[in-house]
Amino acid sequence: MDSTTAAAAPGHLLSVLIWLPAIAGLFVLFLPRQSPGLLRAFALIVGLFEFGKSLQLLIGSDYARGFRFVENVEWIPSMGIRYHVGVDGLSLWMIILTTFLTPLVLYVSFGSIKARQKEYIAAMLILQSAMIGAFVALDLFLFYVFWELMLVPMYLIIGVFGGPNRVYAAVKFFIYTFAGSIFMLVAIVYMVVTFKELDPSHRYSFDYFDLMRLGFPRWTELALFGAFAVSFAIKVPMFPLHTWLPDAHTEAPTGGSMILAAVMLKLGTYGFMRFAMPFFPGASHMVGPTIAGLACAGILYGAAVAWRQKDFKKLVAYSSVSHLGFVMLGIIARTPAAATGAVLQSVNHGLSTGALFLLVGVIYDRRHTRDLSEFGGLAKVMPKYAVFFILVTMSSIGLPFTNGFVGEFLIITGSFTADLLRIPYHVERSSGPSFVGLGPLYAGLAALGVLFGAIYMLEAVQKVFWGPINNPKNRKLKDLNERELVGLIPLSIMILWIGLRPQDFTKSIEPDVQGWIDQYEQKRQAVTRPLAPRAYLLSESDIRPAPRREARAAQQAH
Amino acid sequence: MKDLLLYLLPIVILTVGGFTMMLVDAFQKEEGGLSVPTAMLHFAAAAAALALWSRGGSADDLARAQIAFNGWLAFDRTTLFLDFVIALGGGLASLLAGSYLEEHRLERGEFYTLLTFASTGCMMLAGATDLIMVFIGLETLSLGVYALTGFRRTSARSQEGALKYFLLGSFAAALLLYGSALLYGMTGHTDLAGIREALSRPVDGAAIAGQEGAQQFVAIQQTVRDRVSILAMVMIVAGLAFKVGSVPFHMWVPDAYEGAPTPATAYMAVVVKAAAFGAMLRVLVGVFGDPSGSASLAGGWPGLLAWLAVLSMLVGNLIALAQSSVKRMLAYSSISHGGYILAAFVVTPRAEEMAGGGSIGQGAAAAVLFYLLAYTVSNIGAFGALIAAGRRGKEAVSYEDLAGLGKRHPAAALALSFFVLSLAGMPPTVGFFAKYNVIRSAVEAGYSWLALAVVINSAIGLYYYLRVMVKMYMTDPAPGAVRAEPMDSPGLTLTLIASAAMVLALGLMPQRFYDYALEAVKLSVAPVAAAPAAADAPAAAPSAPSAR
Repeated sequence: MDSTTAAAAPGHLLSVLIWLPAIAGLFVLFLPRQSPGLLRAFALIVGLFEFGKSLQLLIGSDYARGFRFVENVEWIPSMGIRYHVGVDGLSLWMIILTTFLTPLVLYVSFGSIKARQKEYIAAMLILQSAMIGAFVALDLFLFYVFWELMLVPMYLIIGVFGGPNRVYAAVKFFIYTFAGSIFMLVAIVYMVVTFKELDPSHRYSFDYFDLMRLGFPRWTELALFGAFAVSFAIKVPMFPLHTWLPDAHTEAPTGGSMILAAVMLKLGTYGFMRFAMPFFPGASHMVGPTIAGLACAGILYGAAVAWRQKDFKKLVAYSSVSHLGFVMLGIIARTPAAATGAVLQSVNHGLSTGALFLLVGVIYDRRHTRDLSEFGGLAKVMPKYAVFFILVTMSSIGLPFTNGFVGEFLIITGSFTADLLRIPYHVERSSGPSFVGLGPLYAGLAALGVLFGAIYMLEAVQKVFWGPINNPKNRKLKDLNERELVGLIPLSIMILWIGLRPQDFTKSIEPDVQGWIDQYEQKRQAVTRPLAPRAYLLSESDIRPAPRREARAAQQAH
Repeated sequence: MKDLLLYLLPIVILTVGGFTMMLVDAFQKEEGGLSVPTAMLHFAAAAAALALWSRGGSADDLARAQIAFNGWLAFDRTTLFLDFVIALGGGLASLLAGSYLEEHRLERGEFYTLLTFASTGCMMLAGATDLIMVFIGLETLSLGVYALTGFRRTSARSQEGALKYFLLGSFAAALLLYGSALLYGMTGHTDLAGIREALSRPVDGAAIAGQEGAQQFVAIQQTVRDRVSILAMVMIVAGLAFKVGSVPFHMWVPDAYEGAPTPATAYMAVVVKAAAFGAMLRVLVGVFGDPSGSASLAGGWPGLLAWLAVLSMLVGNLIALAQSSVKRMLAYSSISHGGYILAAFVVTPRAEEMAGGGSIGQGAAAAVLFYLLAYTVSNIGAFGALIAAGRRGKEAVSYEDLAGLGKRHPAAALALSFFVLSLAGMPPTVGFFAKYNVIRSAVEAGYSWLALAVVINSAIGLYYYLRVMVKMYMTDPAPGAVRAEPMDSPGLTLTLIASAAMVLALGLMPQRFYDYALEAVKLSVAPVAAAPAAADAPAAAPSAPSAR
């Protein structure tokens, strides 16, 4: 059975999900500015409808394997560019996270963004389209188009609606990510051209499954992987390439920060999983320990810097650097537990950091400062706020019964057994995972990061909520209003749901993660040839592992 | 004969129309009103090009037509494609001119006549297969454009730009002429096919065979001929590179672009560039891209162009970063876009593919043509939006003038953002697909470093394009500053909408026009040599008469 079309594809669900927000976003531009109520209602209806639609993706997703809801039609035939989209366990929850957060973010933003709401709504909706498109694209040209398309609306959201230093942050964000992704473009083109030379039909193809069959000599593979990795690592952002993130987060409006942290950053980790690693298993395996080291460095560095922040929003921004280090470590570790944890933790981080940015936005709206030293004793004046804040903090530091615990636990245990020892590229071990690797070291470093996370978050909570109210300005702060509650309650429910019943979510992630690992290993075995002098084309069987018996059984049982 | 004349239709329409307008202008009492007729003329020429395209015609027909015009003009699909781009750009530019000249009290009939004749020159240049025709075309278009540059007679900048352009342009034309003369001297031919044919033959030593030192003499002659033809090639490239404003022949560009009335700037940036690149394609591939020619020739010019390309991209982009005037920024950015196009040029010849009818060289040539089309619609749009941003005396020139435009005139700001994003090569605009084609052809031909240079430069370029958006959307005008007042006019609106529609449509569905471009080079660039060469064969003089 062809796993690309494993499930029946009813209708054009993915196309609806991709294009509906963009069309609605353009339509909003023609609505009258004078009636903000109409604008808001329209945006919310579109967002909620989109969310409802996206829930259809869950149908038949339990224990399913392979791409579902596939659409594959020609776009630019002479260039081999197709409109090829599909969803699997790696992208499923990211899409739902996107559709879940967008209406929420829009609704919450209506409280703080008063001017130019029309443009804000349009930018948000177009951004949503681009993000969903990037998550489902299975054609690299299409993916690149969505990948770049994301930049413009986010740039406008930061630059137009952001804080005092917004222009600098917006331009830095745009150029940093653009500069990273153009190398990926060259790498993609290189792969396409190579495919054309090797394929007997001599056609161009940007198709994911065609390009997957390419094998390269060692240095070429490393260079290509490097091009992809830099592009994704900037987006994640991974440790030395993270410098755009604190600026962008600090200056962006609350809604922009939420979407940026919750969804856009995940496109970096998703890109690693979907493209960079399966395309180049040899290279990614070779530099895997380095990347894992950078991920651990990011975990600790992000935590350490977050600890010293005075600005609340910067603290959350650096905590993102730290949390995404976990996700990266889980992906690089490539054990089923770690990779499942990484996908789940992507969602978790989206929920908890999204909520944190929202909460920071709440006090910023009231006090117009985010300086931690300005606050103290808020638990007395804003009890509801304190409750939510502490819940989200628990999730962020990974306390049991919250989602953060599940994700981080899976990643740490998973990477403990991971084979992360440096292995010479062309010497292959006999079989099975190696337990003498450096996995425990990485896992230990990551665990240390959890501890650090508890330190900086709890210290911030202590500064803001406990103690006497020293600052008279804080005495009359209003507690959460309805709008903010509407934003926070769904997030909190999700945080607890994932924490208490993670299997509801992992059951649709695990099979595809297993398939991802199998395929990776399969291709890695195939490309680990000593000194291939030129690029070559692998056969289908080299890259497509036979379905596992237990996965099949599970599917049938279901 | 009648159907042979038909091939000349786009040029005929413009020429006859130009003369008619001259008369109309002389006899009408009030100035003005010629913008729409000029645009219609251009669009009619574009339609004629399309009609000729769909009419098709066998290679035989085309060759007969070429012979009928003394082998001076090619009527193949490359010409038709370029004619279409030229006519489209010219038409849109004259629509812009209608609004701009009226607003700025410059409305005079000459503008349109000059513009029409310049377009005629462009079409001649784009179709030229004879060095004399190249020169005639070049001069025809230059005369028009020099005058258009200096059209703002009361502005010192305009005068300065025109004078610079004229002086340097004459110099460049002289270089081109000198290169042509060298080639003629060596081969006895002015037509490209003849030159190519003569150069690909080894030096004929029959006349002195058997004499003492004959072999050495022939060897020296051969070397001299190769060297001199390289010199000639460099001169011709320099002459044409001047017109497209490649570094280091770019000194006139910023002054002329800034001084000229904005529609004329748009015209120069896109139409003249299209014509000159077309001529370059034909001359370089037609004469020097011959694989059977001496190796030094086939291998020589891609290296030269690669340098021009990298320099143009880098210098254009870096200086554009430092500009405070948007118009000057667009001028420098047009230099760097010339560099991107040249980057595709570098890979056009890859001699073996050209000969074998392979796809890499053709893909690159098609990338050049497509880029010209993409650049035309994006750039005309950008200049149009810039015109829309300012009124007389309150023009939008510097970045500061654009501050807060997003609030004052959302439509113009949106249009300008859209066009600069296309120039920056962001998907889903046409600029992205055009740039992708350049990158693809460079990678395909093994010039990955050039592809990297292109993308790195795109990232540099992004900064100044973003600055336009920063000013329009993210800054408010300084208190007390003279504000640029946006203007509206039907012609302007129409141009902007048409350009934006094309930028978006070509970006989302580039298939059809890319195929046209591919078809244009498939049917043209390679076989240009064949037919006229055969026709002129008896006239082919023995090489190097001067050595006798």
